[in-house]
Amino acid sequence: MLKIENLKVNINEKEILKGLNLEIKPGEVHALMGVNGAGKSTLVKTLSAHYDCEVTDGSIVYKNKDLLELDVADRANEGIFMSFQNPVEVPGVNNSYFLKTAVNEKRAYNGEDEIDAMNFLKLIKEQTAKYDIDKKLLQRDLNEGFSGGEKKRNELIQLILLNPDLIMLDEIDSGLDVDAIKTVANVINQMLDGKKSVLMITHYDRLLELVKPDFVHILNDGKIVKTGDYSLALELDEKGFEGIGIKDENK
Amino acid sequence: MKINDFKDLNLPKKYDEEYRKVDFAPLFSYDFENVKTYEFDIMGLQIITDEKNYDNVLFDITRSIDKNQVVLTIDSNIPEPICLIHKLKDDETFYVNSLRVEVKEGAKASLIEVFTNDCVNSAYSVNRDFHIESNSEFEYAKIQHVNENGTFIYNANFEQEESSVCKFTSFELGDGFIVNSYINKIENKNIEYYLNGLVKSQNSANTNNLIKTIHNNESSKSDINFKHSLKDYSRAVFKAKSIVNKEAAFSKAFQNSNTILLSNDAEIFAQPHLEILIDELEASHGATTGTLDKEQLLYLQARGIPKDKAYDMLLKAFESQIYDNIDDKLIKEFISTYTRSKYV
Repeated sequence: MLKIENLKVNINEKEILKGLNLEIKPGEVHALMGVNGAGKSTLVKTLSAHYDCEVTDGSIVYKNKDLLELDVADRANEGIFMSFQNPVEVPGVNNSYFLKTAVNEKRAYNGEDEIDAMNFLKLIKEQTAKYDIDKKLLQRDLNEGFSGGEKKRNELIQLILLNPDLIMLDEIDSGLDVDAIKTVANVINQMLDGKKSVLMITHYDRLLELVKPDFVHILNDGKIVKTGDYSLALELDEKGFEGIGIKDENK
Repeated sequence: MKINDFKDLNLPKKYDEEYRKVDFAPLFSYDFENVKTYEFDIMGLQIITDEKNYDNVLFDITRSIDKNQVVLTIDSNIPEPICLIHKLKDDETFYVNSLRVEVKEGAKASLIEVFTNDCVNSAYSVNRDFHIESNSEFEYAKIQHVNENGTFIYNANFEQEESSVCKFTSFELGDGFIVNSYINKIENKNIEYYLNGLVKSQNSANTNNLIKTIHNNESSKSDINFKHSLKDYSRAVFKAKSIVNKEAAFSKAFQNSNTILLSNDAEIFAQPHLEILIDELEASHGATTGTLDKEQLLYLQARGIPKDKAYDMLLKAFESQIYDNIDDKLIKEFISTYTRSKYV
């Protein structure tokens, strides 16, 4: 599904990713861990075409297409979803209207008919009930005045309705209580159908306990320096980065 | 007819602080072929001679041509807004119009005025004198949609009695040279005065809002809130001066101007200004200028919404904050369904 080779990315003319290689196949769950500043968020931001990221070298192939040739919206409509670490507030844009617009843009991209207001409401009702998520957030303006937990739940509603193929979760568990983390895990696990892939960034083992990764990668100084299975996350949790031989290059 | 030829007029000068950044010279020196009073299409309204002393010399332009003032009196609650449509048709003509609106004690009323033109090199000078009696509520919406060859001078004077509410919203949509002047001397207690404006300009529109509010009595509120979204070579001026005098304890005086510049050539001159002579009050003033928030734009795009559509959604969200401030549902409906083509 996704193949990244020798990816080098600058932010503000400083090289953050320094030749990163990663392959994610359909149905795989990958976890990306690493010290602060290692380049984890830069990777998912690059995959989403964030304006901060300047790709200086390397290639990214997604569903046999050159991802770097696609703009932000096209990448989303091709099935890439990035949950934002701190979603921006957008006063004046109603959350439900925003979501319906996004759903219809994806449908138009795929040559499908637009969903009308009645069917959209029905879809919302079905999907939020399925995952036990409060849909009251949809009546408000997009992320405006939302608590940290509400913002994350809103990201989940978008994730469910946009039904992407590659789910990238950038610290979606940060600041969430135990029950909210369970909700996140419940959504991810139910969405996994053997075709969808997940790339999740986390500092904590709690989410990984609930969404078992097939691969755990340790990113350090802009490169993946160690890859293993879930046991690597457990070892990291027990020994810390230094304990598994990772030297923080930022220190 | 040239306005400069009116010898008794003390016209604004280039260096008058109140009118700095507003270039009247092309208007005042233009030789109009005709002069006309724009007549309302309403029978039976009283007409008086406007002899009042206004704290604004621009009122005298209209009065130099026609001192008559039509009086619209609203005695009791009216369920629907009164709607006055002004359509200018004649080229090379200087039009004038003067209206006094009286909202009697305890009445609740709303008024919409639409100003459009379908002519070349004409100007329209409009005087409005609003009297809002005690315990009454008045909501007013103005749509200005004058074409690029047109000039529009709109002078509003507000007099509010105790415990009255005045909510004024203007939608400045035209491409011409526009000067709006608003004066409210708050002489009574417990007055609420809301002045909202959306300046949505493109091409070479030049829109100027000159606002003066003086608090001379206690426990009243003035809230001035303007949004500008400026495209192409358009230009806007926002000069708001609110004075809170010693007699005006416990006043609330707010001013706010937000601008989004949508091209490198668009310009805003925003000057909120407070003069406060007391301690016991709430007051704030501010002005922001920028482009659309690129983080917001990215967020919408990251959910599959193309850049142009995301841009439009954010712009509409910015502009709708003025629309949302309107209380009267029928005024809202009128604004939301308004198109220029219906009125020219």
